[in-house]
Amino acid sequence: MTYGTTVPHPGQPGEPLDRPADSAALPRLLPAQGAVPVDLRTHLHRFGHLPYTGRAARLIPVLQAAGLTGRGGAAFPVHRKLAAVAQAGTRPVVIGNGAEGEPASEKDKSLLWISPHLILDGLQLAAEAVGSDAVGLYLSRHPRLLDKLHAAIAERAAAGVDRATVEIFDAPPRFLAGEESALASRVNGGPARPRFKPPMVFERGVAGRPTLVHNVETLAHLALIARFGPDWFRAAGTDDEPGSMLCTLHQPDGRRDVVETELGTPLRSLVTLDGHTQAVLSGGYHGAWLPAADAARMTLSNADLRPAGAFVGAGVLAALPADRCGIAEAARVARYLALESAGQCGPCFNGLPRIAAAMAEIASPRPDPRAVTDMIRWSGLVQGRGACHHPDGSVRFIRSALHVFQDEIILHGQGRCVDPARRPFLPLPADTALSAADWS
Amino acid sequence: MSGITQSTALWYASRATGVVSLLLLTGVTLLGVLVNRQGRLPGLPRFVVTGLHRNLSLLAVAFVALHVLTAVFDPYVTIGLVAIVIPFTSPYKPLWLGVGAISLDLVVALIVTSLARARINRRFWRALHWLAYLAWGGAVLHSLTASTDLHRGILLYLLLACIAAVAGAVIWRISQAGRELPQEERAAATLDMMSPRGVRSPARRGPRETIR
Repeated sequence: MTYGTTVPHPGQPGEPLDRPADSAALPRLLPAQGAVPVDLRTHLHRFGHLPYTGRAARLIPVLQAAGLTGRGGAAFPVHRKLAAVAQAGTRPVVIGNGAEGEPASEKDKSLLWISPHLILDGLQLAAEAVGSDAVGLYLSRHPRLLDKLHAAIAERAAAGVDRATVEIFDAPPRFLAGEESALASRVNGGPARPRFKPPMVFERGVAGRPTLVHNVETLAHLALIARFGPDWFRAAGTDDEPGSMLCTLHQPDGRRDVVETELGTPLRSLVTLDGHTQAVLSGGYHGAWLPAADAARMTLSNADLRPAGAFVGAGVLAALPADRCGIAEAARVARYLALESAGQCGPCFNGLPRIAAAMAEIASPRPDPRAVTDMIRWSGLVQGRGACHHPDGSVRFIRSALHVFQDEIILHGQGRCVDPARRPFLPLPADTALSAADWS
Repeated sequence: MSGITQSTALWYASRATGVVSLLLLTGVTLLGVLVNRQGRLPGLPRFVVTGLHRNLSLLAVAFVALHVLTAVFDPYVTIGLVAIVIPFTSPYKPLWLGVGAISLDLVVALIVTSLARARINRRFWRALHWLAYLAWGGAVLHSLTASTDLHRGILLYLLLACIAAVAGAVIWRISQAGRELPQEERAAATLDMMSPRGVRSPARRGPRETIR
């Protein structure tokens, strides 16, 4: 199920298959004919050759005009990151971030599998823009995905498409592995654990050099903007939040899809928001819950989501069915988040397990009433005091669950639960991090 | 003993605030040694230890300031304002007051870098913070030599107790270092420590309540 699919047409020989002359047409990143991996020949036929600009920094004002923001979750303006790295010093490094440590998100893996050449195009263009010849791709450790990307890079090398050689780095399956400084640490040969900042990664990252880190979807958009221009990019989305993005949708019936949609799309067009859904999680496990009735009035935009305490993030939308226990779900995720702590900062490795234990208490029948007050106290103590935003994001998720599932908490206090069987809904990995080896 | 004149009042105040400063600095150093201990200090959660460490250090600076100013403005001995921060420039006991000045300089450096911790390189902050031991040692040496107060009686025992406490804490901390959990295992260990009610809690020995 892909939202906004255009009807494929054969086109004339020599004409690109899907020239986006109809500017607002989707999909852009994903092929129109479905989730079929695109090889180099098809990619060049559809989009034309890689439009190197010929000079460093030339792409930056184009990206500024387009208003492209990062698609890794933070939504930082892309042109500013490029400018910062270009100015930070000599011999910068560019790394595409495809680690996708968020268990509820599949869009980066899907994009890497289906449209690797868009991402690799974006890497080359970003490298040219900051004057870098040291380029890498940081991926989650799936053997087939790694093989595919190795093959795609080899294909491009044989065709002489790439100017900078792309080296592949693999990430351990940790939630924090995709954090910028964790990425830099891993690429440097160490464990994928966040580092204290300053210095920022764009100043001193890989091998002590200024490092540009971009989510792979961001690079794919970059590659298209370089071809079709900022006006084309802005034809989709809203004025303040232009463009399209990939979303991972979790429907109440258990279906999971990766779709490409434009920013500003009503949430009810993406996930089922009828009586079968009680709440929607937006932004993944560092995101926030919204009651279904509220979500039904909102669009996929920070303008709508931020005032409600949520955000677009990396496009994870999970619609929790009405017959599941939201607190039990939140408790499962809280336990996962606690175990994914890198163990470096006291407030995190002490506070998150305590919060998770309190959540487990609340999720059980007739919980100790002190559990909620304990949790509120601990939440206040762990925020803003670590090397990364893991405790802050986790607290945001948990606090929103306490708020949205208040009625469920009251039910539990009476010894009842909407789902006594506690069937799990949200995806979580089966393995936890047990030792140092799990971070490398 | 003659009555307390204005001059002797300042002198007594300087000695008294000096003793209090030494006690506070010893307390700060102890808390600093213990703050990284894994597992719980009975009755003192970790955030209390760090909070106390910070607050006490600020209080210690206040008392050191009083100690230093009363000493400088005491007309009986000539010390001079400059000697507060620049060591060995005091006409009176230049060596031992110099040791005190060095200790003060270090304490100020520790506090300033700690207040600006978010803005400076963490490794630099950590490296500098090791100088806390030097600052405390300097304070002890200065206390012992700048006056004879701590050479006998209850103040001597106090001094010995301070030295014993810090030495003991450091030795204990070194012995614990080998037994610390690797960082990657800490969160799981804390989670194991928390047992949700209904699993191991003694209050739930009876048949488990059914959920309606």
